[in-house]
Amino acid sequence: MSLPCGTRNYNYAQDMAIFRTRTHWVMLIVFLIILFVMPPLFFNRLWLNTFNSIGITIIAALGLNILVGYCGQLSIGHVGFIAVGAYTSAILTSHFGVPFLVSLLCAGVISGLIGIIFGLPSVRVKGFYLAITTIAAQFIIVWIISHWGLTGGYNGMSVPYASIGGLVFDSPAKQFYLVMVIVLLAVFFAKNLTRTKVGRAFIAIRDNDLAAEVMGVNTSQYKLLAFFIGCFFAGIAGSLLAHTTYSLSVEQFSFNESILYVGMIIIGGLGTTIGPIFGAAIFRILQKVLLPVYMVPWLENTITGLPAGFASGLAPMVFGLVIVLFLILEPRGLAHRWALFKAAYRLWPFSY
Amino acid sequence: MDQLLQYVITGLSVGMVYALIALGFVLIWKSSSVANLALGQIVLMSAWFNYSMFVEHGLPIYLAFVLVIMFALMLGWVIERFALRPLIAQPILSLIAVTLGIGYFLDGLITFIWPASTAGFGNNPIFPNDVIHIGPAIISQQYIWVIGIGLLVFILLTLFFRYHKMGVAMRATADDQMAVQACGIPVTRVFSTSWMLACVVAAIGGVLISSIGGISHGLADTGLKAFSVVILGGLDSFGGALIAGPLIGLAESLAGGYISIENWGGIRDVVPFIIIIIVMVIKPFGLFGEKRIERI
Repeated sequence: MSLPCGTRNYNYAQDMAIFRTRTHWVMLIVFLIILFVMPPLFFNRLWLNTFNSIGITIIAALGLNILVGYCGQLSIGHVGFIAVGAYTSAILTSHFGVPFLVSLLCAGVISGLIGIIFGLPSVRVKGFYLAITTIAAQFIIVWIISHWGLTGGYNGMSVPYASIGGLVFDSPAKQFYLVMVIVLLAVFFAKNLTRTKVGRAFIAIRDNDLAAEVMGVNTSQYKLLAFFIGCFFAGIAGSLLAHTTYSLSVEQFSFNESILYVGMIIIGGLGTTIGPIFGAAIFRILQKVLLPVYMVPWLENTITGLPAGFASGLAPMVFGLVIVLFLILEPRGLAHRWALFKAAYRLWPFSY
Repeated sequence: MDQLLQYVITGLSVGMVYALIALGFVLIWKSSSVANLALGQIVLMSAWFNYSMFVEHGLPIYLAFVLVIMFALMLGWVIERFALRPLIAQPILSLIAVTLGIGYFLDGLITFIWPASTAGFGNNPIFPNDVIHIGPAIISQQYIWVIGIGLLVFILLTLFFRYHKMGVAMRATADDQMAVQACGIPVTRVFSTSWMLACVVAAIGGVLISSIGGISHGLADTGLKAFSVVILGGLDSFGGALIAGPLIGLAESLAGGYISIENWGGIRDVVPFIIIIIVMVIKPFGLFGEKRIERI
């Protein structure tokens, strides 16, 4: 089912290939050309900003997916680690003049290390206990950020735009290329990570950590590694967030954002690489474009006498409803639907 | 000294409310092993509901209180019936995520209905706020009321679990779900009742805490702080919640009162979370929690 009709694998390289047939390659290249040429030409500033936000969200969600979807370690404080990355990178570039690419990596590494610290309880506990620990982590991190002189506290801080060499990414169109290149790298890394020994160890731990330990997987080491990788992605996303939005404040890193991230990977499909991409795209488009620009004015024009809290209350209600409905109706997420769709069109029109 | 006594009393009364909310959590966790992360929103919502009945509609407080309890019963039933029932026997991630989703939804609903971000009871308090003197300390009477009502609810719940048929059924379900089903006890009704009871307890907590400090969106975080009570006391222990609640309240109130290093404002809001991390590292199953042994 996973291979197009009539294709057979005759050696290991073919078996492991992600893009197996010529059609796959053609579709990949066409997709990349569309991705890199279309948006800056045909979309306005609002959409470009949304695309950048989607890209950043995809990176963070991929990390969360490795942690939750592959390794089964519940984390509901992911935004806290994004905040660590964002502020690390912002402080390094604006106070110490570190170049952007270096601070990007530093943000990832420091975020990962903080992730390991808060992931330490995962060695002993799991499930709800771990979820609570990560919630606590988020609140502690946000509190430290808002009370530390270097970060500007509640006033926030301004961050220089990302720059590589002499090239400054100061417009949404330029940032789009920066973000998308990193997104592609992240997707490539995440996809391949899950096919290696490490990824298989993660899956073994998710399915049953005691059984995995009995079979010789060093569970505590791999759990911490999962925390490191997941938070590394979060740090990278945070750094990009800081350097594309110009100003940074703690309000961007609320607990509700963390819930949104969990919602994204559930709606997309846990334990798949394409899932976080779907989830991030759907939530960000809803949040930044569909609801505020189209839905709210339309509803306000058609229905009179809406309560005053309508505009700000609609988004959380829709998000909450989407999460609950997906969990009840399609717990395997959009990735499963996507797989069904692929299987269907490969066989079409002869579905047997 | 009088200052210390004041901090202790306020800490104890806020802690009592935390204990009540934590009780709401333990109720659901014990009967159906669902971690209810929407507690904060339920607390906030019932506080607002009480406000709108009591202040906006001008009902007497006992009537408003009865209405709040009926509202909480309905809320609990709806949540269990439409969101949790279809997810019975799903992995814990789904169960946690669904309550997060419910919390998010309720968040929106609250903004929808009550757009104001804060509200106070002003000169029309729920409980008389004449001051009383305990030794050298001057304390508002409200705190004593909160502690008293908290203890009363706890005693009522204990009696319910001890003597009422449903309470016994709920304890049995917590013990062994399969055996209970084999005995012909409708497990779904047990789940439903536990959600309704939990919502009522959380709603009482919401009314009590809003009577002290008014209503603000920060009340939703009270639900999260109550998790530190649950973690410290042990996830499946009523007594643990009752002891850990005032402990957390005390720690919070004392930290807020005495740790006043420059720039450390708001430390009281993170104290419960720091306690969570410490407990997690030292004694993950809490003071009175049952240590689980896993089998493959």
